[in-house]
Amino acid sequence: MSRIIKNYIDGEWLESDGSEFIPVHNPATGELLATCPDSIAGDVAQAVQAAKDGFEEWRSTPVLNRAQYMHHFKVLVEDNFDEISQIVVKEHGKTLDEARGEVRRGIESIDFAMSVPVLMRSDGLEDISSGIDETTVRQPAGVFAAITPFNFPFMVPLWFLPTAIACGNTFILKPSPQTPLSAEFLFELLDELDLPEGVVNLVHGGVPAATALMEHPDVTGVSFVGSSPVAKIVYETCTRNGKRVQAQGGAKNYIAVMPDANIEASVKNILGAAYGCAGQRCLAAAVAVGVGDAYDQLKDELAKQAVNLKVGYGLDETTQMGTVISDAAKERIETMIAQSAAEGAEVVVDGRGFSVDGYENGAWVGPTLIANVQPQTSMATEEVFGPVLALMKADDFEDAVEMINESRYGNAASIFTGSGKLAREFKYSVNAGNIGVNIGVAAPSASFPFGGQKDSFFGDLHGQGMDSIEFYTERKIVIERWV
Amino acid sequence: MASLNTFGAILSYAIGLESRLHDYYVGAGQTERAKAADKRRKKLERARRENIVEITLEPIEGLDEADYAFDLDDSSDSGQAAVEQLAAQFYQDAAPKINVRAAQRALERCGQEHARLADRR
Repeated sequence: MSRIIKNYIDGEWLESDGSEFIPVHNPATGELLATCPDSIAGDVAQAVQAAKDGFEEWRSTPVLNRAQYMHHFKVLVEDNFDEISQIVVKEHGKTLDEARGEVRRGIESIDFAMSVPVLMRSDGLEDISSGIDETTVRQPAGVFAAITPFNFPFMVPLWFLPTAIACGNTFILKPSPQTPLSAEFLFELLDELDLPEGVVNLVHGGVPAATALMEHPDVTGVSFVGSSPVAKIVYETCTRNGKRVQAQGGAKNYIAVMPDANIEASVKNILGAAYGCAGQRCLAAAVAVGVGDAYDQLKDELAKQAVNLKVGYGLDETTQMGTVISDAAKERIETMIAQSAAEGAEVVVDGRGFSVDGYENGAWVGPTLIANVQPQTSMATEEVFGPVLALMKADDFEDAVEMINESRYGNAASIFTGSGKLAREFKYSVNAGNIGVNIGVAAPSASFPFGGQKDSFFGDLHGQGMDSIEFYTERKIVIERWV
Repeated sequence: MASLNTFGAILSYAIGLESRLHDYYVGAGQTERAKAADKRRKKLERARRENIVEITLEPIEGLDEADYAFDLDDSSDSGQAAVEQLAAQFYQDAAPKINVRAAQRALERCGQEHARLADRR
């Protein structure tokens, strides 16, 4: 039996009351890293009670002190940067550079939260009537929870936790049971901060814990990142239970490559966008649309460069692409490749049956390039969440924009072009929440909201940026008259 | 395949190089040079940590550690000069491969320091 990880509730590491457990494997080696409890409603109730009890003390902690906690938190993460990156690689399978990039982006979210004394400030107006002044104040709203995915096990929790608590709320994190170890380490660092009891809480597990959080009457709001079908369930469950909710879903991100683009340079960036994190990110490039003459060039260059990517264990610095998360994911991805081939697409680079010497137990899928993908087929419409890039042909710019806008997803879209006019038109007319121009992964930095439209987002206020300040605070209007 | 094919591979190689140079100069009784190598190592560790940009991670080509065979057994004046020249060459080759300016600058400055040391015999 491997080590059973614990929940962190009310400032203490506690065993779950649940009797079910989920194994946590290193997807590259197959090694059993730990065992994750499938926490139950009782564990969640305990965490919510701790967060509720801790709220009054924490909300009255001066905002400058709360910002100082964020400063110390950042220092702890910086000091442990390399260890965190290695944990991410071991439990997720991505490369060391990708893990370092993830930790860095997590730190950016802490940086953002440090600015809370400015971000929470509001406005006011004197003499709205004779001798009457009106002001707004932002106040923390209570207990918040986040349900986070496997693909960025360190970064995504930090999209939410620092801002939520810096605003004066208390917080419960339920990370993915596939990758709970980054969150465990995150809470070891939070424990070193000596925050008041109940400010931050960690409950491991799957559906039972998530459901309990969404249905608990004392949870004010829930942030979620995951697939679209689950995001929709989260949104419906939370709204039915009277909560504010931001639910980020899946994606099918298109990249349009115009004939005037620098194809060789564009392909380098597209490779990173398509195969980075083995395609397991909601901003991954899923479909490259070659416009006019660009199609054949793009196909040749992508095929040439994709086969040269070095696939291997992420802890090897020279690895350029790691594993997918599990054998089940590998099987699902390989089935989707087969289905696309059966639908008439051409598998130009086939990552099925991939193996890496010395890591025969790994969940490997090699970089895959599928050309001649037709609109309405599975590869054009369904999220793969793996290292598979579909290639489609558009007659012209308008045709490409139409293809993109037909997607039911709207997370991100990019254009590679040398034309400012087309770039402007793309930004203007494409229905996606994050737009890239000559960049394949249009990931917003921490001070901007993480966009997302259509089936890629359910809610009103997005994660990150000023949206997150709105999400984590109540605005109160004060009208004063002294006679 | 080139062995220094990622941002991390290049920075980690540079960090390892400065670590080896520190030990080399300690062995040669060159305390100041050993300290300088250690300082460069720390700067490079910071550069690796702070300048990794997840959205522009791209494959890197044309840089192989086999091209930089340092002779760290020869601590004579000419041996030291050769080591410094080769280190300067490595940084000169590596810096343009990095697409983040701050990290590129860190490599360039290491290269300039090694070039100065190579000239100072």
